Order: sequence, then C-alpha cells, then structure tokens
Amino acid sequence: MNQIWIIARLEIRRAFFSRRALWVYLLALFPAALFLGRAASVHYDRREYAAKPATPAAILDRLPAGTTDKDALAAAGPPIRDRQWRRGEVEHRSLHYFDGYNRVWLQFENGALKTTRRLPLHSFEQDTRIYAGVFQYFYLRLAIFFGCLGIFLNLFRGEMIDKSLHYWFLAPVRRETLVLGKYCAGLIAAAVIFGGGALLSFAALLSYQTSADLETYLQTDALAHGLWYLLAAVLGCAGYGSVFLAAGLVLRNPIIPALVMLLWESINGFLPELLQKLSVLHYLQSLCPVPAPLDPSAPPLARMILSPAAPASAWTALPGLLAVTALVLYLATRAARRLEINYGGE
Amino acid sequence: MAVFKRGYERYTGPRTGALARFLVVPRFAWPKLLGERFVVVLLIVSLFWPLLCAGFVYLSNHASLLPGLAEAGDAVQKLLRIDGAFFATFMNVQSTFAIILAAIAGPGLIAPDLANNALPLYFARPLSLASYIGARLLVLFGLLATVTLLPGLFVFGMQASLGGSAWLAAHWTLGQGMLLGFLLYILLVSLVALTLSAYVKWRVVAGALVLGFFFVLGGAAQIINQVFRVEWGSLLSPSYILYTIWCALLGVETPADAPDAGECLAALVVLLAALLAILLRKLRPVEVVS
Amino acid sequence: MSDDLIRFDRVSKFYGDVLGVNKVDLRIPPGITSLVGPNGSGKTTLMNLMAGLIHPGSGTVSVRGISPFAPEQLMRILGYATQYDAAPRGLTGFDFVLSGLLLHGFPRPDAVRRATHAIETVALTSAARRKIAAYSKGMRQRIRLAQAIAHDPAVLVLDEPLNGLDPVVRAETIALFRDYAARGRHVILSSHVLQEVDVFSDQVILIANGMVVAEGAIRSVREEIHEHPSQYLLRCAEPARAAALLFTHAGILEARIDPGGAGLLVITRQREAFALAVQRLAVDGLAIDGLEPLDENVDALYEYLIGGGK
Ligand SMILES: Nc1ncnc2c1ncn2[C@@H]1O[C@H](COP(=O)(O)OP(=O)(O)OP(=O)(O)O)[C@@H](O)[C@H]1O
Ligand SMILES: [Mg+2]
Repeated sequence: MNQIWIIARLEIRRAFFSRRALWVYLLALFPAALFLGRAASVHYDRREYAAKPATPAAILDRLPAGTTDKDALAAAGPPIRDRQWRRGEVEHRSLHYFDGYNRVWLQFENGALKTTRRLPLHSFEQDTRIYAGVFQYFYLRLAIFFGCLGIFLNLFRGEMIDKSLHYWFLAPVRRETLVLGKYCAGLIAAAVIFGGGALLSFAALLSYQTSADLETYLQTDALAHGLWYLLAAVLGCAGYGSVFLAAGLVLRNPIIPALVMLLWESINGFLPELLQKLSVLHYLQSLCPVPAPLDPSAPPLARMILSPAAPASAWTALPGLLAVTALVLYLATRAARRLEINYGGE
Repeated sequence: MAVFKRGYERYTGPRTGALARFLVVPRFAWPKLLGERFVVVLLIVSLFWPLLCAGFVYLSNHASLLPGLAEAGDAVQKLLRIDGAFFATFMNVQSTFAIILAAIAGPGLIAPDLANNALPLYFARPLSLASYIGARLLVLFGLLATVTLLPGLFVFGMQASLGGSAWLAAHWTLGQGMLLGFLLYILLVSLVALTLSAYVKWRVVAGALVLGFFFVLGGAAQIINQVFRVEWGSLLSPSYILYTIWCALLGVETPADAPDAGECLAALVVLLAALLAILLRKLRPVEVVS
Repeated sequence: MSDDLIRFDRVSKFYGDVLGVNKVDLRIPPGITSLVGPNGSGKTTLMNLMAGLIHPGSGTVSVRGISPFAPEQLMRILGYATQYDAAPRGLTGFDFVLSGLLLHGFPRPDAVRRATHAIETVALTSAARRKIAAYSKGMRQRIRLAQAIAHDPAVLVLDEPLNGLDPVVRAETIALFRDYAARGRHVILSSHVLQEVDVFSDQVILIANGMVVAEGAIRSVREEIHEHPSQYLLRCAEPARAAALLFTHAGILEARIDPGGAGLLVITRQREAFALAVQRLAVDGLAIDGLEPLDENVDALYEYLIGGGK
C-alpha cells in the first residue's frame, strides 16, 4: 500500500507537468473557455438588446406562414436587422426582431414567410441541457477518451518507447504493485484535470445566469448535479484508464484496441442488453443527472454514433463500472508479471 | 590496390529516370503495408458498405421485379432513386474507413523515418523534399483510393450501365462530383496523417492523434455551435467541411443557415495550407548541404 | 535455502527467431565475474535474464536462491546498471538516484544520505543537481552505476561498466569492484575485451553466439582457449605427401585425407607453427590451392580476444 503511494507520487509529477500533458489540459479546458466566452457574449447581448426596441411577442406570433414580407413589416414595424440574399433560384430574406425576451428571426423565401426562429436571449433551462450535451458528447466520449488514451498509454508504452521502463522493473516492488501505483498516478492526474475542467465549465455556466434562476438552482439541484458530473468524469477516467493501461501493457500497437473501443462505444446503443453492460460509456451516461438532447440535424452517421444507450440506474451503474475496472486491472497485473523489457520496436 | 589510393570517382553509369526513382518509395511501402494484418482486415471490411450500396443500386434498377414495389407510394420510389443524396450518404460512410485506415497505416510512413533519423538517408540520394512528400502522399493515396475512389466508381459505373445512357447523360455530374470530392478528401486525410506523424514522431501516438484530429475537432465544432447558438462552428470540423463540399458537388441541399460550400472550401484551403506548412517545418532536411 | 550461487539451468532465450542465448548452464560463485564476448553474443541477454527484465523461454534462473519472477525480493539484493543509455525524462542526477532509493522503501532522510554517498562514490557530486539529459556519456555511465550501488546490493550486475570512463575513474571503479568482491558479494560485469578485465576478474565467462565457450579462473580460460584445437582444410593436389611433410614439421594432432577428395583435414593446437609449416610446404614445391579454417567461431573468437591484444 505504502509502495503504491510512493510509486504514484513519483509518477504524478510526470503526468501533470510534462510538456506532453499540455494538450490534455487543452482538451479539458476547451469547454470551460467556451462557456466563459458565452458568459461574455450573454453579458454583451443583454446590454445590447436592453437598448433595442422590443416588438410585442403577440404581434410576431400572430404572423402565419405565407405572410408576405411587406405585410410583416407593416405589422411589426422596422426590424433590428434586415438581411437579403440569393441562393440558387430562391430569394431569401431574414427580418430580425426582439420581443423583450426572445430574439426572433422571420425567414422569408421568395417573399413568403417560411419559418419563425426564436432564440431566448438566454435561457437557464436550455443552458443546463447544453451543458449536459457538452458533458456527455465532448467530455465523456472525446476528451476523457482521448485524454486517458494519452495519459495511460504513456505509463507503460510511453516508457517503453523512452527506454526508461526498466528502472521501474529494477525496484523491489511486485509488478502488481507497480501497475496499481502507476494506475493511481494516472487516475489522479486524469481525474483532477478532467474533473476540474468539467467543474470549471459548470461554474462558468452558472456565472452568467440571472440571479433568480441561479438562486433556485443553487438551493435545489446545483450541488447534486455538480457532484454527479464530477463523479461521472472521475469514473470515466477510471474506466477508460484501466482499459488503456492494459492495452499499453499487452500490445505493441495499442491504437488498434483504442479504435475498436471507440467503435464499440459508438455502436453500443444498438447492441443487445447484455453487451451494453460491457461499455464504459453506458454506465457513465446513466450517472449524468440531466439527459442530453439529441441533435436532430446531425448527419445520419453522426446520429448513429451519438445515440445513447438505455440508462441503467445509478446504483447498478456505480458497482458495474467499478467491477469492469477491477476486472481489467486484474488482467493488466497478470500481463505485467510476464512483461519483458524489449526496446527493439519503434 | 588500397582503397585510399583509388581516390574518389563519381558514379557515371546509367541512372533511372526521376519518375522511377520517385516510385521506389511506394513500391516498397505498399507491400509492407499489405503485409500488416490489420490493414488487410480493414480493407476487406471496408468493402461491405460498397457491396451493400451496389446491391441497392441493383434493387432500384429492378424495382419492378419486386412484387408490390411498383405500385408502392411515392415515398418508397423516392427512397429508391439513385441521386446525389445517395452518393453523398455513400461517401459519408465510406470516408470513415479512410480515416481509420489512415490512422493505422499513415503514421508508419514518416514517423519512423524521423524517429530513427532516416531522413538524411533519403536526401543523400537524388530525391528532393518535394518528391519525398509526394511519394509518401502517393503511398497513402493508393491505399485510400482503394477504399474510397475505386468502390465509388464501381457503384457509379454499375448504376451507369444499369440505368443506360439516358441516366448517364443526365447524371454524369454525379460521377465527376464524387471523383473530385474523394480526391479532395484523400488529399486532406493523407496530409493530416503525414503531418501529425511528422509532428509527434511516434507511430502509436500519431495514430491516436489522427483519430483524435477528426473526432475531437468534430466534437469541438458541435459544442461551439451549441454553446454559442451559431452555425459557423462547423467550419472547425474537417468532416463537416468536406461533407458540405461534396453536397455542393453532388447538387444536394444543405441547411440554409449552415456555412455554405464557398466558406467550407476556404476553410479547407486554410487547413491544407496550415498542415503543409507544419509538415515542411518538421521535415527540414538539416543534413543537406547546399 | 541458503545459497550464494547464481545459477542458470539449461536456460534458452529466443527473440522470435533470433537466438539470444542457448542452453546455458552456469554456476557463478561470489567474486568478480566477467562476461566476455563479441557484439551480439548474448551478454546483455544473460544479465537481463538474471535481473528478470526478460524471462527465459526454457530453463530456470536463480540468484542466491531467489527467482527473478519475485522482483520484490530479488531487487533488494541486486543492483543492475543496464547498457540502455536512457534515463527518465527531466530528472537531475540526484533525483534519479533518490527516486530509486525511495522505491526501495528507505525513509526520505535515509534515502538522501545514501544517494549522496553513492554519488560521491562515483565522483559526480558537482554535477548531481544537473539534468541527466545534459550529462556526457561517461557521466551517464557513472550515474547509472551510482543508482545500482546506492542500496548496497549483494549482487551487482553491470553491463559494460568501463565503457567511456576516463583512466582515473576507471581505476576507482575497479577498486570499488574489488571492495565489493572482498566482502563476499557478486560483481558481474561484461566487456568486449579480455585484457580489459582479466587483471581484476576472479572468473571469466566467454560467450560466443549465445553459448558459453569457456568459463573458469582467468588463467585456465586463457589456456583452454589457447589450446583449443583448431581444424583446417588444406586444399592441395597431393594430400598424402602434404600429410607426411606436415607431421615432420609441426605439432599436428591429427591429419586425415578428406574422403570427398577436397584435400587434407588437419587438427592442430599451435596455429602459428602450423601456418609456418604450410608456408614451408609451399617453398618445398608442394602445390597448395588454399587453406581454410573449418571451425570459424572459436578461431574468430581466439583472434578477437587474444590475438587482437598481442
Ligand atoms: N530485443 C531484441 N529483439 C530481438 N533480438 C534481440 C533483442 N535483444 C537482443 N537480441 C539479439 O540477441 C542476440 C544477443 O544480444 P545481446 O544484446 O545479448 O548481445 P551482447 O552480447 O550484449 O552484445 P553487445 O556487446 O553489442 O552489447 C543478438 O543476436 C541480438 O541481435
Ligand atoms: Mg550488450
């Protein structure tokens, strides 16, 4: 136990501060940066639209499809912005209004009202759903997946490439202990970076909500949601980490299992119940407090990749995930016992 | 006679032409790649979808054979039509295989040369930097064309022969669009594979990076769109850029407020230029004495 | 089981199709033992097998009664300086030695003391705080030696430890080996050149092509090699006459007329004398078409190890 900690301490520094870790931070902090940017733009919009003329929503809502642009202009008055362009045979026109709460675009094709697009200047409800989407599609599927791929492959395969793995093997520690120690180091690094990134984005998201929304949320769900997201991120690192650690131990070219895993996690939603239980993502998504929306305009292939697995309850998800992780780690320690130093490749 | 007494004498015998020398690189790289088990498996797996599409083409041209289909509704008829949308879907799915193949086969081409300092060996021979890159690109081109271009032309040719000259006369732009679209795609994917592997120098990492490049940028584009409620974020996604260009080439409608083909083309050019600049920077043949 | 030998029992190791070592049987007593052999003969392979960095394909290894499959016990008594010229990234020399000691479970103050002492021993104190990446080749060699001796192991395994050392440090290092050996410990090192190690080794093991060619105290090995009979094929038109002439000249052990008609097969212990005798044959007017050594390996090894240093 003590030894595991000593190994982890020595290894953590490498995981956190090497130049190679830079892109991991980039992945983790990218959404946080986006939400901060969003905070700035909401702030700006609020001030911008406060000065704009508001057209009563009743008027804008009453315009039926097919209304001509002239009639619309007559009914609603001068727009905030008027844009016209041509695409193929079709003459497009977009009139932009503000109803005091929503931004509204009336879109005309060849002079007839085709659609009315309505975007709230800012909506707490929508934002939390977008955060859920970002967390599930970006963090869980991409950032944590590829981040853990980098961090955990570096633990053994990376040192093999660097020709420095034998220093660990020359220490009086059981190979099992070594695997666990390195795993802990990777896990701590990944969990701090990605858990921190997710929480930071969450905080950035809350930073620009109106005070009324924020207060209710803070009093009800905020803490629980934040904790669940953190837990899902950490468990994601634990699950993916164990798999990539094992892959780095066993295989010369771990990209192939990574690829297989990426595809496996993608098509998993279509597989029979039993097989779904073997997916890390399946459990993680069950832990997320807010279900993520599916983007209906995504191309068919993307939709296939994004379709969520049927959720398991949190109380089966937790032990399920831990069981998968433990099993994979056990196999990894078995492989480590037989691992030989061979710096021939590459 | 002792070696040092002979003095240095330049080789004056016959030499192969520049083209033949250029082809030496792919000539050795292809058999090596085809010797890798996973590459072969992937090549075979990637044939399923074109075969499925070919079956569909056959079906759509023999719709009358199926009882009940002839009098089926308009929707079914429309579904069965072979048009731009059909080819766009075909290309979209098939292109995924190209990415995977490039992630597996691509890094093995340049990364080992850099990691083992083999570049001077290449440049000590009559091979310029441009032809080195060109030759490496050609290796990937050959590989990727077998999973994209060849099956695509096969499906198109099958439809052309089944649909007769009338169909061909009306739809030859589809074939041309597919050819052009796939060429652009292959260029992008192989350049990404070469650049990233020259950048990190490790095969394994480069493979992961190629995958990450397409998937993570795609995801990043999505979340920019979502968070800011905009559409221009898609310009960050290489897959999306190319999909839009294909749709324009094939005459398929894309959502009106999304970035259009012109913008996508501009983004593509910027992306290609950036990749090429990095590649040239990393491949600087220090050992060449001018 | 109290056992102070390092044992190899019919150990073979193949890297795929490539032979590493083949059916090695060894008993190495404490003292300084040198593994000597040309490049690629299997020295590193033997050492890696001892330290459990690789595992034998068949046969068993034990180091003072401990199996290399139990690193948690073996590494307490074994220190190994490998030939891989790489160190963990970004560490200073001191941190490198210290981290090894921490892994041994020494409490920090104790580890710092030992690391300082080990670095002192290899005379690197002034460079201890610099990054290993910035070390010269000899300094890297020494820091690896420091890491191997830092925990005061009973078995010290060193792969080409004298490579790249200047004469002063070399003498100090050899003194260190002697000191270790005098305390009843194992010091096992490898070298390409017999002269380099035969002065201070208690025992040498000669390896060629993955096989142990000769082992034992240095004097006996020298004689063994020197007197290892060599076989030659003398191509000539009149093998019978050549045989008769040769026996009068040199210490030939055996001469047989090749049944295939290629010439005369000769086995001799005295190469130089034999070579002179053949020259004299030619002078005497015997038509000689050629002289080929038949057992290339031992002959080459002989040339390499002993002939080269004459
Ligand atoms: N990782 C490996 N993969 C394949 N073959 C190897 C590997 N390591 C060693 N070999 C082969 O095993 C044989 C013995 O190698 P070894 O490294 O033990 O030689 P050595 O005596 O240490 O040589 P040197 O004096 O050059 O260090 C050689 O033929 C070598 O090519
Ligand atoms: Mg060696």
